[in-house]
Amino acid sequence: MLRSLRSFAALAVLTAAVWPASATPAAAQTDPLEIIDRVDRLMRGDSSRGVATMEVVTENWEREMTMEIWSLGTEFSLVRLRTPPREAGTATLKAVDDIWNYLPKVDRTIKVPASMMGGAWMGSHFTNDDLVKDSRLIEDYDIEITFDGAGEGVSVWDLRLTPKPEAPVVWGHIEYRVRQDDYMPLWTRFYDEDGELARTMEYSAFTEMGGRMVPGLMDMQPADKPTERTTFRYEELEFDVDLEESFFSLRTLQRGR
Amino acid sequence: MPQSPWRRIGWRNLGRNRKRTVLTALGLAVGFMACVLIVGWTQGIQSQMVESGTSLIGGQLEIQDAEFRPDRSLYDTIGGRDGTDVEALLRAIDADEAVIAAAPRVYAGGLVSSGEATTAGAFFGVDPAREVALTLFLDPLVDGVLPAPGANQLVIGDEMARQLDAGVGDELVIVASGADGSMANDLFTVSGIFRSGLLEFDAATAVFVLSDLQALTVLDPDRIHEVIATTSDFRLADATAERLARSLEAIDTSGRPLAVNSWTELNPAMVEYVAVGESFHWIILVIVFSIAIFGVANTMLMATFERRREFAVMLALGATPRAVVGAVLWEALAIGLLSLAVGVAITMPLLFWWHNAPPGLGFLFDEVTLMGALMEIDLRVEYNLPVTLYAAGALMLTAMLAAFYPAIRAARTPPADTLSGL
Repeated sequence: MLRSLRSFAALAVLTAAVWPASATPAAAQTDPLEIIDRVDRLMRGDSSRGVATMEVVTENWEREMTMEIWSLGTEFSLVRLRTPPREAGTATLKAVDDIWNYLPKVDRTIKVPASMMGGAWMGSHFTNDDLVKDSRLIEDYDIEITFDGAGEGVSVWDLRLTPKPEAPVVWGHIEYRVRQDDYMPLWTRFYDEDGELARTMEYSAFTEMGGRMVPGLMDMQPADKPTERTTFRYEELEFDVDLEESFFSLRTLQRGR
Repeated sequence: MPQSPWRRIGWRNLGRNRKRTVLTALGLAVGFMACVLIVGWTQGIQSQMVESGTSLIGGQLEIQDAEFRPDRSLYDTIGGRDGTDVEALLRAIDADEAVIAAAPRVYAGGLVSSGEATTAGAFFGVDPAREVALTLFLDPLVDGVLPAPGANQLVIGDEMARQLDAGVGDELVIVASGADGSMANDLFTVSGIFRSGLLEFDAATAVFVLSDLQALTVLDPDRIHEVIATTSDFRLADATAERLARSLEAIDTSGRPLAVNSWTELNPAMVEYVAVGESFHWIILVIVFSIAIFGVANTMLMATFERRREFAVMLALGATPRAVVGAVLWEALAIGLLSLAVGVAITMPLLFWWHNAPPGLGFLFDEVTLMGALMEIDLRVEYNLPVTLYAAGALMLTAMLAAFYPAIRAARTPPADTLSGL
């Protein structure tokens, strides 16, 4: 789920953005690994279920989808569209490293081939790859604090994450801004290998859902298309729901719920 | 101009050793033939490459929205969001004097799935009747028939069919990005299987009826990405592109400019390959006649050596060394002209035959993929008047140069010593 923050795994985001509301303020916390680890865990839950709206704006069209999301850890998630009506029932299952799509119109399930993992997920600015990458930031990146002070009216840390030499990641580096008092991420910037900004995700509408403080709205903007964006907005979110691995099966994918 | 006796002597000397004359003339004539045919053959291969590269999958000309390349976006249709009058556009292109066929196309990309197998695919939406009049890859099909309009049918490459374990009559799930952002999907039945011979193309391409692919990808009927066209001769493509660019300005494309590109712009590597091939023509010419010149020089040297007593007599009787040189060079000129006549006589029939009915070389070469073109090598030769004239000139020059040293040697024959037998 943390994956959602760093690589913007939409499903992951949906499945976890959480930090216990009672979390200890982190004023004394200055270990960058610890900060990112807490942000990472912030977006995880053992299991979750939620309803979210995804709005995609491109230069050619705009559309809004409502979806129900289930997740179990970082390995399993299931997303099923509720709207628009023409696509209701379309679903995506992520199980470990694989993704399947269920297409109700033709009543078929297809596995997304490796060659298409870089393709857009549901027409959004997220890729299928974003959904399946779930390595932990602290394992794949060297992390340093580049700024510690006031920013955007609050105390923040700015962190720079540089990939370790052998890490299987696509980004040249990542920058984070994290609010110090509750570890809420404010934005994440992803840079390509040439150091050019590729996309930015901004977090806002921090609210308590399912007993945890989460960013209720996440907005992703590709740097090369400034007029385009994908926005996720949680409508409902609950944690530690009763889900087994067996739930995340092709049968569930096809039959709906 | 007074008739030179040395010219007569030169001609007459050809008959003094007829076998040698014939062999020398044949050597030069075969050199001439080799140059003309080898150059013609390399040009024939180049022509085949260009013709195949501009007719197998695409055309010699592509007419698109100016924004379509290089991203080939689904949205950059001719006329943009408003599209264009496709029939009027096709009529305008067909009306060009050089265009012999034109075909509209829609492109998309997505997934093709059969059972457990799924692969990424490039989708071509075509007008089957127009398409087979222009490109070769759908005609003939390996199996089945072309897709019928409105029947949700498609044809796929044989490699894709193998990967999906699908055959004619099987249903495939097609998933593509719709122009409205939706995940467009539908079931299509395989009506046929094609084989272009280009493995990657055959593994990744599915061909639909244009209107079916428009419906799948939520494109209006007047939205197409491209019209491909071909002319009667690929060498006319550039001029035709310029002419079409002007004439198509009358077509309503909602203010969006059209791009008319010829194969020379679309495939500069092929143009460079042809240019490199042409530079080899001169190398072939130099090599062939460099070999010939030593043979002719040897013959002329022997001929003048055998006749050194004759030259001694001529010099003793008052002929100048220059006159002796002239006699030998006239002889060389005569043998050059004779060689040229023989060369033309043996080359032209072969040139005409292999140009019009080239024998296949399939027993020597498999199909070759070159610059995106698929070729079956044969003995097709192209006519090349400049190279033929240069080869004729090179033949004459070779004969004259080869005789120059023997002529100097003959002119320096010491009369007294030679006639006294020293």
